[in-house]
Amino acid sequence: MSKSINFPFPGLFRGMGLTLKTMVKRAPVTMYPEVQEVPVPRARGVISLDVDNCTVCMLCARECPDWCIYIEGHKEEKGETKPGARMRTKNLLDRFDIDYGLCMYCGICVEVCPFDALFWTPEYEYSEPRVADLLHNKEKLTEWLATVPENPALES
Amino acid sequence: MTSREMMHRSESAVSIELQTPDMTLNIGPQHPSTHGVLRLVAKVDGERIREVEPVIGYMHRGYEKLAEVRTYAQITALVNRIDWVSGFASEVPFILGVEKLMGVEAPERAQWIRLILSELARISSHLVFISSYPLELGATTPLMHSLREREYILELIEEVTGGRFHPNFNRVGGVKSAYGGGSTTKKQSMDLPAGFFKRTSEAMDRMDKICDDIDTLVTGNELIKMRTVGVGIIPPDKALEFGLSGPNLRASGVAYDLRKSDSYLTYDQVEFDVVSRPGGDCYDRYLVRLHEVRESVKIIRQAIDMIPSGPLQAKVPRVLKAPKGHVYSRAENPKGEFGYYIVSEGGKMPYRLKIRSTSFSNLTILPWILKGQLIPDLVAIMGSLDFVLGDVDR
Repeated sequence: MSKSINFPFPGLFRGMGLTLKTMVKRAPVTMYPEVQEVPVPRARGVISLDVDNCTVCMLCARECPDWCIYIEGHKEEKGETKPGARMRTKNLLDRFDIDYGLCMYCGICVEVCPFDALFWTPEYEYSEPRVADLLHNKEKLTEWLATVPENPALES
Repeated sequence: MTSREMMHRSESAVSIELQTPDMTLNIGPQHPSTHGVLRLVAKVDGERIREVEPVIGYMHRGYEKLAEVRTYAQITALVNRIDWVSGFASEVPFILGVEKLMGVEAPERAQWIRLILSELARISSHLVFISSYPLELGATTPLMHSLREREYILELIEEVTGGRFHPNFNRVGGVKSAYGGGSTTKKQSMDLPAGFFKRTSEAMDRMDKICDDIDTLVTGNELIKMRTVGVGIIPPDKALEFGLSGPNLRASGVAYDLRKSDSYLTYDQVEFDVVSRPGGDCYDRYLVRLHEVRESVKIIRQAIDMIPSGPLQAKVPRVLKAPKGHVYSRAENPKGEFGYYIVSEGGKMPYRLKIRSTSFSNLTILPWILKGQLIPDLVAIMGSLDFVLGDVDR
């Protein structure tokens, strides 16, 4: 190192001045556990399920890039029909699990759903100490349906 | 042999210059200055580096192979994870390539939205460099300032796309226009939310200010200058030889920018300068990136005024099938040229996807440039190349 350095270096003091100016400003930080941060309405926090709309068509499970949706269903006879007609059946959902340890939050399942059964919500407080506990069943996914925000206004 | 002779011999054996073998120094793969998991096997002679061999592949995730068994819509979700610092910018060339292959063109508003979001991604990526590079040189304060401002950019990206890092917003034939629209509920349109332009121009004012602050903190700082000026000089011919691109190439005096030369999206309608510096040392590479933030701010300000209204998505079939053929498409990532070579055999999935990732090509100069350098300069040179290991290993 042949370069010599002259003291006092002006750049250092200019930087210190900026630091002093920043010190007296308010920090733009949300103190999280005490103050809840409100995410933007479109934030891809977690996927919620509307069980009544689901017809067990399996499109979401098939289009998922890492196959983290597990669906099981069965067919049930629809009750009375005209005499002689074929018995009509209806699909019933038994199991709808999303493994959030695998999910990569791409939103393809929400987009391909033809019956509007899946929704994004900005909810983010569902961390678990064990990865296996991130597998959420349809009861838990239905609970999140209440947090789905309204569609925000658009720029013209 | 007399005893006198023997003594003479042993003395002469001791008094010759002792040759010490070069020491092998392993740097990484868990070293904080390697931006991830890069391992450098350096042969050092004292403080000088004789030769260095980068060992990569610790973060190989096999995206090229994964893409062969995924549809085009699913690959879009994957490719923004290649370079996670600027997720949107690596989506754009892929989707442009698929559009070229299928012969569809995105509507104008979608192209402008792509332009705004890729420039926001550029600012956020360069702010990560501006924060991490002084940190590697030992200055922690710029990190706090630029990461604070980067949060405003990420919020803007999240507001439009729903994701801070992984937007997954591009679709073949436009951008994501809506979801839902089934039998029971209303369509959720994904056009820009109200007040986006106002908040963007506010954020751009903040970016101007942070550039001035960084000028005060880093550009004029004598200690940073001592560490970077004249260190790791890449001459323009060597830069071209090793296939550098982006700010690393422009810092060597080659004013080559795909946004100007290819003019994809609507870059031909906005005015901006290609920043280039003649020196080619670490300080110039830093300055080019800082000035590019200012240029991006300029581009976004123009785009806000010029963006037309209209549809977000062109008419495309529901099941995307690319016709047989192959295409190479490239775009200017914040780190340089990012390209995809897509070979299609006519199905829903590509037959082969070759990713020309920027950081990998920028990394190839490392053994040449580190030869003969001092060990303290190693971190300064490596950091100035600004690579992301996810981009190198893919």
